[in-house]
Formats: sequence, C-alpha cells, structure tokens
Amino acid sequence: MLRAPIHRALSLPNLRQLSPALRGISSSPVQLEKIEVFVDDKPVLVEPGTTVLQAAAMVGVEIPRFCYHERLAVAGNCRMCLVEVEKSPKPVAACAMPVMKGWRIKTNSDMTKKAREGVMEFLLVNHPLDCPICDQGGECDLQDQSMAFGSDRSRFTDIAFSGKRAVEDKDVGPLIKTVMTRCIHCTRCIRFASEVAGVDDFGTTGRGSDMQVGTYVEKMFLSELSGNVIDLCPVGALTSKPYAFTARPWETRKTESVDVLDALGSNIVVSTRTGEVLRILPRLNEDINEEWLSDKSRFACDGLKRQRLVAPMLKNEKGELVSVEWEDALISIAKAILNAGNQTAAVAGGLADAESLIALKDLLNRLGSEALCTEHTFPQDGSGTDLRSSYLLNNKIAGIEDADLILLIGTNPRFEAPLLNARIRKTWIHKECDVALLGPKVDLSFEYEHLGDDTATLNKLASGQHQFNKKLAAAKKPMIILGGQQFGRQDAAAILAAVQQLAQSLSASVNDKEWKILNVLQQVASQVAALDIGYKPGVSEIRENPPKVLFLLGADEGTITRADLPKDCFVVYQGHHGDQGASMADAILPGATYTEKQGTYVNTEGRAQQTLAAVTPPGLARIDWKIIRALSEVVGEPLPYDDLNAIRQRLTEVAPHLTRYGAAEDANYFAQAAQLSKSVKTQLASTPLDVKLKELQDFYMTDAISRASPTMAKCVQAVLKQKSSKY
Amino acid sequence: MATGRAAQVVTRQVRPILSVSHNEARSRALALYKAWYRQIPHIVNEIDIPKSTKQCREKLREEFAKHKDVKDVRVIDMLIIKGQMELKETVQKWKQVGHVMNYWKETVNKKPTDFLSKFLEGKD
Repeated sequence: MLRAPIHRALSLPNLRQLSPALRGISSSPVQLEKIEVFVDDKPVLVEPGTTVLQAAAMVGVEIPRFCYHERLAVAGNCRMCLVEVEKSPKPVAACAMPVMKGWRIKTNSDMTKKAREGVMEFLLVNHPLDCPICDQGGECDLQDQSMAFGSDRSRFTDIAFSGKRAVEDKDVGPLIKTVMTRCIHCTRCIRFASEVAGVDDFGTTGRGSDMQVGTYVEKMFLSELSGNVIDLCPVGALTSKPYAFTARPWETRKTESVDVLDALGSNIVVSTRTGEVLRILPRLNEDINEEWLSDKSRFACDGLKRQRLVAPMLKNEKGELVSVEWEDALISIAKAILNAGNQTAAVAGGLADAESLIALKDLLNRLGSEALCTEHTFPQDGSGTDLRSSYLLNNKIAGIEDADLILLIGTNPRFEAPLLNARIRKTWIHKECDVALLGPKVDLSFEYEHLGDDTATLNKLASGQHQFNKKLAAAKKPMIILGGQQFGRQDAAAILAAVQQLAQSLSASVNDKEWKILNVLQQVASQVAALDIGYKPGVSEIRENPPKVLFLLGADEGTITRADLPKDCFVVYQGHHGDQGASMADAILPGATYTEKQGTYVNTEGRAQQTLAAVTPPGLARIDWKIIRALSEVVGEPLPYDDLNAIRQRLTEVAPHLTRYGAAEDANYFAQAAQLSKSVKTQLASTPLDVKLKELQDFYMTDAISRASPTMAKCVQAVLKQKSSKY
Repeated sequence: MATGRAAQVVTRQVRPILSVSHNEARSRALALYKAWYRQIPHIVNEIDIPKSTKQCREKLREEFAKHKDVKDVRVIDMLIIKGQMELKETVQKWKQVGHVMNYWKETVNKKPTDFLSKFLEGKD
C-alpha cells in the first residue's frame, strides 16, 4: 500500500523531521549538523534534507506554488516554484529539491521571473477564461499568481479557432462540483485522497494534453473528508456544490468559531451574508483538526435554517402546539415548575453549551432538585465521573502522533470523529505505529489487527492472557481509545473497569510519565462540559423517579420518551430544531444554534473553546442561557448573572478550566480510578461490542442539525446509490 | 522639552467666550431664565400645546437644573447662547408644535434596563 513508497520517496526518517516548524511538536531525536544556504543573499542554517522552498520560507520568502502542499507528499509537477540557484544551468523546482551546502538561491532574479512567466503562460493556455462565472473567483491561486507572477501581455491567439483544451466534468457526489476544464493537474486532490482520506479512487488517466484527473469510472468520492479537496484545489476545478454561485468571498463576513457536530471541536470559520450562514470552512488548529474538516461539519450548515423553532409554543386544549408570546410561555412554564417544586428534572442534549448547562443546573438546584442528567451515559460504579481522567481523551489528539500502538475498543473513529481517524492514519503512515481494533470489523481507511468483537477478548486482555498483551507490553507508547458509545450498554461499568485495569497494567512499562494510556472518545460536544459541571450521566434516574416537569435542553436522541413519564408530566423543550425532543413537548422555547451564540464547549480532550455568534437567532429565538435566566426570574428564583461575563464568572467558580479557552486541562488519578474500578460488581455481558456508525451512510445524519440538512440527506442517498453500483 | 510644553498648556490663559468671570456667567444665566419665565405665558397662549404655564415653567426649571453642576465658564456661556437661540426660535414661531413638545419627549419609548424586559424585547 501507500505506506512504504512514501518512506522511500522522501528517504527521510519521518515527515516531521522534514519540516519541524510546520508540524508543531518537534522532538527529533537525531541532531544532524546544519548546513548554511543563502536565500536572496540572506544566510540561513537549515537541517539537511530541507527543500529550497522550506529554506526560503524560513527567511520569510514565499515561493509561488500550485502542487506543493505542506501536509501532502511532494509531487513537483506544476513547476511554478522554479527558482534560480547560482552556478546551476537550469532553474530548480524548489518544492522537491533538497538544499546543498552553500547554495545561493535567487527567488527574484531574471531567470526565476522568466521561468515563472513561462509556466504561467503554459498553464493559462489551457485554462478557461471563465473567472466571472467561476466559484473560485476571489480565492483562486491561479488568479492571484497570474497577477503577481504572470507576464503582462498575452501571446495567446487562437488563430485556428480550435478552442482551448476541454475536459468532460466528473460526477463525484453531491458535495463536490467539478469543472475539469479548469484543472491544472496539480494532483493535490489525488494525493489528499490517497494519503489523508485513505480512499484511493482519484488518479490521472492519459498523457500530455490528454491527461485527466478523475476516478476513471464514474464514481462518488466515498469519504467522510471529501470536502477538503475543495479547499486544496488551487483553481475552480473542484468547488462546493451546495455553495455554488452563492457568494464571492469579499461579500461575506467571517466569524471564527468552533464546530459542535462531533466531540472534537474542530476549529471553523463561518461565512455569513445578510444574516445567513453560507458556508463553513476549516480553521487551522494543529492540536485538533490541523487544516481539515469533516463533511458533516462543513456541509450540514444548511440544516441551520431548516426545521427551526422560531417562536415559543404551548399546547392548547386540543393538544396542538401553537405559537405564543414569550411572556405567556414563560409564565405557563413557571407555573408548572412552581407546582412541581423539587420534582423538576432536566435532560441535556449533545449540542448544549456550558453556559446554558450551568444556568439550568443553578435554576434546578435552587428549586431543590438534583435530577440533572445528560443524554449520553457513563457508568457511575467505581470512581464514576468523579475523576476526570475516566471520561477524557487524556493523551490529546495531537498526542496520537507519538503513539507506537493504538488499541481501539468499541469505536469506529472514522465516523465518530473523522479527524481523529485522520490523525491515526497519519501516524500509521508516517511512523512505526500499529493499530488494533476490538469491536465490529469496519473500514478504518488503514490496516489494523482485528481482535474480534467479543467481550471475552476484553476480559482476556484485562487479565493479561490474550496474545495481544505481549504486543501491548512491548509498546513504548501505547494508547487505548475507548468509544463512548459502549457506555450505553448494560455492562458499561465492567467494560470501563476492564479497560482501566488494562491501561493501568501497561503504565508501569511506559517510561514517559506524561504519557496517558487510557483515552475515551466522547460522542457529543456537550458531554465533557456537562460532566465537569456536575450533570449525572444517563437518564436512568429520571426513569426511576418520574418528575412532574421535565426540562429538555436540546435533548433530541429520544433517550426518554412519553412512555417513560407519568401522564401529567409537563415536558418543556428548549432547543433550536423541531426534532424528537420538540415533538413530545408541552411547551417549546426556541434557542440558538452554535453559529448564533457565544458559547463554551469542551471537547473530548477536555479543551475549552468558544463559539462566536456569526448571525442572530431567527424569529423570536433567544440565546439559550438567557432563556433559562429569564425563566428563573419568572419562577421567582432569579439567577445572579445578567450578562455573558457574569455567567462566565460563575462557570469559572464551578470549574476554572471551562473559561481557559484554547487550553486543555490535564486530568489525573489513573491509578486511583483503576483501583476503584476493582470494586465494580457488574459482569461483562456476552453480547458482542457494537457501534452505531458502521458505514459512510450512517455518518451523515446524527444530530438535530444534520438531520435537518438537505445536503446531508442527499449524501446518504448518493452513498446508498454508489454502494449498489457495480464499481 | 515635553514637560515644558505641557506646563505651558496648563498655565495658558483660556480665551473667554462671553463672560470673564463666574459671576458674570451667573448673571447671564439668570437673565436667560427670567426671559424664558416671562415669555412662557405668551408661548402657551400663542402655540397650541397641551401644556399649562405651570407645567412649562416646571420644564424650564428642569432644563436649567440639568446643567446645575457645570463649572466651566465657557461651557456655561455656550449653553446660554444655545438657550437664547431656543428662545428666539420659539418666540418667532420657527419652532412648530412638535418641536416645542419635544422638550417633554412624551413619545420616546424608554429602553429596557432590567434583564427580563430586555429579554422580552429581544434587545441586549
């Protein structure tokens, strides 16, 4: 497969050494003697093996490029990065040429300029002049570079009126629009597909001017990371289908925010115009998503304006929900809550922000109720949620890159957290890292050792009797990633206990004291913050003590239904989409989505991040914590915070790390947790480990926002259609 | 150098607008007040506003009291000039009913101040 050739092609120990500055963590063990080169007469000391382009970047000279991308293998086929090297008869391709001692690189000489003009001219000869109708216009590398480095006049005259080279467009699914005539054959998309996404479908066919980039047979690009090729494409050959002909980049307002559709908290930029979210792009964060974004996070944004709750609603005597004013809604809910007193309970869903979580908890605590639950469960036996290390991805996402053995238990990271899977794949390709999976056999886009899906295997592993234990014991930096979905099982406590004990038994042989073996991959964005604040995981308590008033804070997974509640129970739903939760509610309070509020989210690593408001909530919808604050006043227990700063102060009071934005708070006490886990009485059930998201079609629609998105629905259809085709 | 210039600024004599002393400004203010006070019955008579002489005089007092803490002579002078202009505009009927009534600001909705009313209005 891909693994060996890349090593050979680069003939380097690993990719990280190639560009220590670019890859964040640099702990190169071998210190090689540095060599001196001169870029435009500026001396710079670089490690051997550094390319001309990287050496130039170190002194702040950016060499134009099309095919080179720092996170992909070097192709060296666009020739745009040609620069002159003194005493060399020909210009060299800066992206592929390693520097030699004493080289004098001239990035602005006549020869360099002439080379660039020549390359630009050749590229433009076969590039259509359709910039006015091209979606890439304004953010097109070819446009920018032809202005900066191209010739100032054209020699292109189509004397024979034969037209430019034309290529048939490809259909690669409902997300990516292709206009292949615009393609300049940089092969970035091909390299992305085969290296990062692990779907080796793209390639080139033909030679010379007949060369085409495509899938050979018409085929959908079946990847959960496919949208990234849109960002990678330097021209308008691959553009976003849902965003086609919508806006120009200079018309839109960009807001830096955080994604909440999986538990990773990928950094995003929300482009808006006239109070409407137009598209979502990834934002660079080396610790989380690098510069990629999963398709759900990127394309589910059209779900933000469908199925929205735009006015407060109450059930009338006929049992129909009708729109009412805020006053009426708040007063009737307050009446019900006052009636119920401490028999009020709350369930928080997967998209709730920390501010609304703390406000709801404070309100219910003031009413004398402790029944605050999250939809997603976690075993309460042993140390339960008391020790933070039991429910975090302790070793951090970037920490995966240092692992030499990764054991995945009961998870399919490819669809539960696509960018985590991309990290594992990156480590698997570039480092000596092996992966094993205990759980249903799924396609992870890389090879792994399948240990079966039997719980008995987990038992064997925990007691050290499985043959894989030898490998684990030999590993210097092993990582165990436990899928959060397994906590929904009856024997969750036993599973967690077994994994904790396994991790603890390995920790003795790990030299690095900072290395964390036990990692939990959460399923939703709100879970860590909710547990940090003190919510009880799972709704079993509500089932056992049915409340008189149930407050659903964006709880849409249907973990609690009308059948679990007494007939006279008053259900309040606060949230942004008319989904499962709203359908069973007696009163509805319209809230804001993550693009409409400034909210705190803690990702599965325990990293607090905040979303920023890109647009205003639609209709009468309000920011979530303010709804609860207003309700508290009507109930007669006003909460002591009126603005964002005050409520964040309260968050800081409860858990200081919740407002340390960008920083991931480390957790500890692994040994104690493992010790306590020995007291767990639950036995492992014989039912095999299972995951919900097995295939690509399961990935697209998992929450209220993506279920409301027409693009995501189209994706599911397209994937099913592709799977039934013979290719 | 810089400190010297700063000292210069502090000690520089300010050029008066009208009054040279606080007493002079005070007498001007009193004169303006009296002029308004005596004019108000005529204003009520000539302009069709739903206000009595008494109400207008209360408003007059209120408007003056708004600036009771102004100490700078030049600011006082400026306010007096503005007051005279207002008076002239009213007397000459350059002001229409609405302009005069604007002293009471009866049609202006107050902005919500407490959390709940701000929430219900949808304003932050």
